[in-house]
Amino acid sequence: MFNLHLTAEQIEFRDTVRSFAMNEIRPLAIHPERLESFNKPLLRVLLDKASELGLRTLTLSEEFGGVGADTMTSCIVFEELAAGDVDIAIMLGQTSLLGDLLFDHWMEDSQRDIFLPRFIEDETFHLSCAGPIPEISNSWCYHENLPQEPNAGPIAVREGNEWMIDGSVSYVANAPIAEFFIVMAQTGLDGSGTDGTKGLLVPRNTPGLTINAVDNVVGKSDINWSHGCGAGVEFNSCKVPLENQICKDEKIPIVSEHYSRQMSLQRAAINLGLGRAAFDAAVEYAKIRRQGGRNIVEHQAIGKKIADMAIKLELASTIIWKAAWVADHPEVIADRSVSDLPQHTIANTFTAEAVHDVTLIAAECFGAMGVMRDMPAQKYVNDGFMFLHSDINDISARLPIAEKVVNYHRSKAA
Amino acid sequence: MDFSLNEEQRAWQLKAREFAKSEIRPISIQRDQIEGGFGPWDWDIIEKGSRLGFRTLAVPKEWGGPGTDFVTQTLVMMELAKGDSAICKAFSQNWKWSHLIASACNDDQKDRFLKPFIADDRYLIGRGITEPNAGCDNRLPPKDDPRSGYKLHAERDGDFWILNGEKCFIANGSVGSLFFLDARTDPTADITRGGTLFLVPKDTPGFRIGKIFNKRGWRFYQNAELIFENARVPHVNVVGSVGTGSVKAGGGDTTGGDLFGDLELAANAVGVCDDAVEMAMEFSDTHKRGGKYLIEHQLIQLNINEMNMLTEALRSFVMRVAWEHDQGKRSATGVLMVNYSTDVIQRVTKLNMEIHGIEGSRMNARVDKLVRDAMVWSHLAGDTVLRLKAVSKLDFPHAKSRNSEAKVTASEAAE
Repeated sequence: MFNLHLTAEQIEFRDTVRSFAMNEIRPLAIHPERLESFNKPLLRVLLDKASELGLRTLTLSEEFGGVGADTMTSCIVFEELAAGDVDIAIMLGQTSLLGDLLFDHWMEDSQRDIFLPRFIEDETFHLSCAGPIPEISNSWCYHENLPQEPNAGPIAVREGNEWMIDGSVSYVANAPIAEFFIVMAQTGLDGSGTDGTKGLLVPRNTPGLTINAVDNVVGKSDINWSHGCGAGVEFNSCKVPLENQICKDEKIPIVSEHYSRQMSLQRAAINLGLGRAAFDAAVEYAKIRRQGGRNIVEHQAIGKKIADMAIKLELASTIIWKAAWVADHPEVIADRSVSDLPQHTIANTFTAEAVHDVTLIAAECFGAMGVMRDMPAQKYVNDGFMFLHSDINDISARLPIAEKVVNYHRSKAA
Repeated sequence: MDFSLNEEQRAWQLKAREFAKSEIRPISIQRDQIEGGFGPWDWDIIEKGSRLGFRTLAVPKEWGGPGTDFVTQTLVMMELAKGDSAICKAFSQNWKWSHLIASACNDDQKDRFLKPFIADDRYLIGRGITEPNAGCDNRLPPKDDPRSGYKLHAERDGDFWILNGEKCFIANGSVGSLFFLDARTDPTADITRGGTLFLVPKDTPGFRIGKIFNKRGWRFYQNAELIFENARVPHVNVVGSVGTGSVKAGGGDTTGGDLFGDLELAANAVGVCDDAVEMAMEFSDTHKRGGKYLIEHQLIQLNINEMNMLTEALRSFVMRVAWEHDQGKRSATGVLMVNYSTDVIQRVTKLNMEIHGIEGSRMNARVDKLVRDAMVWSHLAGDTVLRLKAVSKLDFPHAKSRNSEAKVTASEAAE
């Protein structure tokens, strides 16, 4: 059985978000002044409006006040949002993803009682996660064990009724807007025996927590390379009560395959939304730009570009839907309907390449206008390069697929 | 075959290498990161380079320039572009029009414009062809639409021409002292017969600079609107004769500088590729992923191989065409080479970015700059049109009979 029908609810949700993204977000997102600036403003008002549509709590279960969307619906909706603005989609996506993990999986009832009501009531309440996502760097260790690397990132030491955190993380997504941080801290380095990575909740106003903006400064040898918003975060003898520890039950791993799977699927969907925005812009322009005695859409050279873009976007959409369906219905692997390859990795790496190509082709349709900073085409190209080289994607990102093909298993460390 | 360089060629190459290393490279990223269209521009580097001869490199010896050959110019561009692609272009843009002055202007015009050009370190030259609704049409005018192409209107008034209209994206627009300008002297004829080429100094009454364009790549390089409101240009500034078409007036010039135009972009691309290759090899030799130096990973070795392979192939292609140009040969190889350079520069700079990746949500600023500069190649001079144009320069065995067939069909249709 193969069925591509969306539910009536999914279609309605998609159309609502599409209309909001097209009518309200996109005009401001591609305003020439925003495009020209090296530090583009965040569109905070629109972020809050998008929250009100339910996107901030999209994947949080209905039981806890969220929308309770499955992976498939989440992908469809975030694609639409990203077609309006990638940055808003990344910021809301992060909170939505962490909200589900935190309240549905990582917290105990007593913690939910304290934190959940504020999260649900306040549409400007965002979440952030400070710590490494180790799964991703593993792809460079193809058919090899992971090297012993020195502990980077924050460490936590138990002091009486508190955890004391020290250390820093150079870039934390959503840090500028987050109400609290899920800190993945190394513990046990003091010899107390409680070693491993612990999840600690640190409210924004906790003494000892510093958030350092990462602006682009003229003449620096490196530049900020991320969507949404982020900041460096520092912990100096930053103390939180023991009750702020999440995943106390050792059976709930804070760094899980579930986390990286959901994250890469959501990113792929957002990436696809970017491709759609570039495609739309190119097609609209090709219909009205006249050269060679006709509107350029009628030239074969442009027709080929439009067809190539459409092929790439349709294929990306197909693999994202497939991977999302598999995430929601793991039984399709168990009953051998679908191969047990990491579909989310296939979706993410394919989409990043495909959309990158689409943004370049789209820009070509604009001629010289394609490189002008007050026009959107060059922004889409830049965004496409960012997805291609991101915290979860680089040229090694596909290697785990090959490892899975031959069922390679590595031990945790050398 | 002999690939050796003569002493003069070698001397210019080394001089350019030193200037790129000691003067251009240190300001490259800094200028690139200044916001706005005009912001990245810097007269200081232009003056320094001018004093070393890089602004006037292509002026013939009899008019007081060094009279370098195409091979020398190519070598110099490869070196300067390795320092900064956009700054190199700001220099070489003047060579393009030096060539045009030498090939198309009369002695009076050469005297009036080449002398001040040589004397003033800040004297830059540009050419205005493109208009908001005339881009590709200037390169490949559609046969069935004679009104297409540039529309900037020129009307005779005694010893003067009155110019009205607008040009856009014009290189050196905001900093140039002199512009070649393609205008329509007969709006009813197509541009090959109704067009005329003018020389227009920046202080011409009725001529002003409009918007300065803010680009993703080549940020240093200036592109601006030129606006003409009853601008008065003397008849003695007509290049060639009126109504011969500006292309014919420019001695067959279609790429803005004829033979030089294609060479310019492709040679510049080699410099960018050399820069990318050097960065990639340095980085992969000093940085680790997964506990190993990058260069120990096969993924990276494959990238390094491809980057070197493409760069060396492009270098050979460009040097061959430079040599052919010096022999006065004309063929499709020039435009084929520039099309190839677009593919190579974009591929090589992308592979360099793959090798660097990101570190803590930061990207190496120069890696990003090379990618952004490389993107410009797809948007210059109508990239797709250049690919189609290459085909028009190739000899097809059945072209003659095919064209006469088409004519018959057209006349049948007219009846």
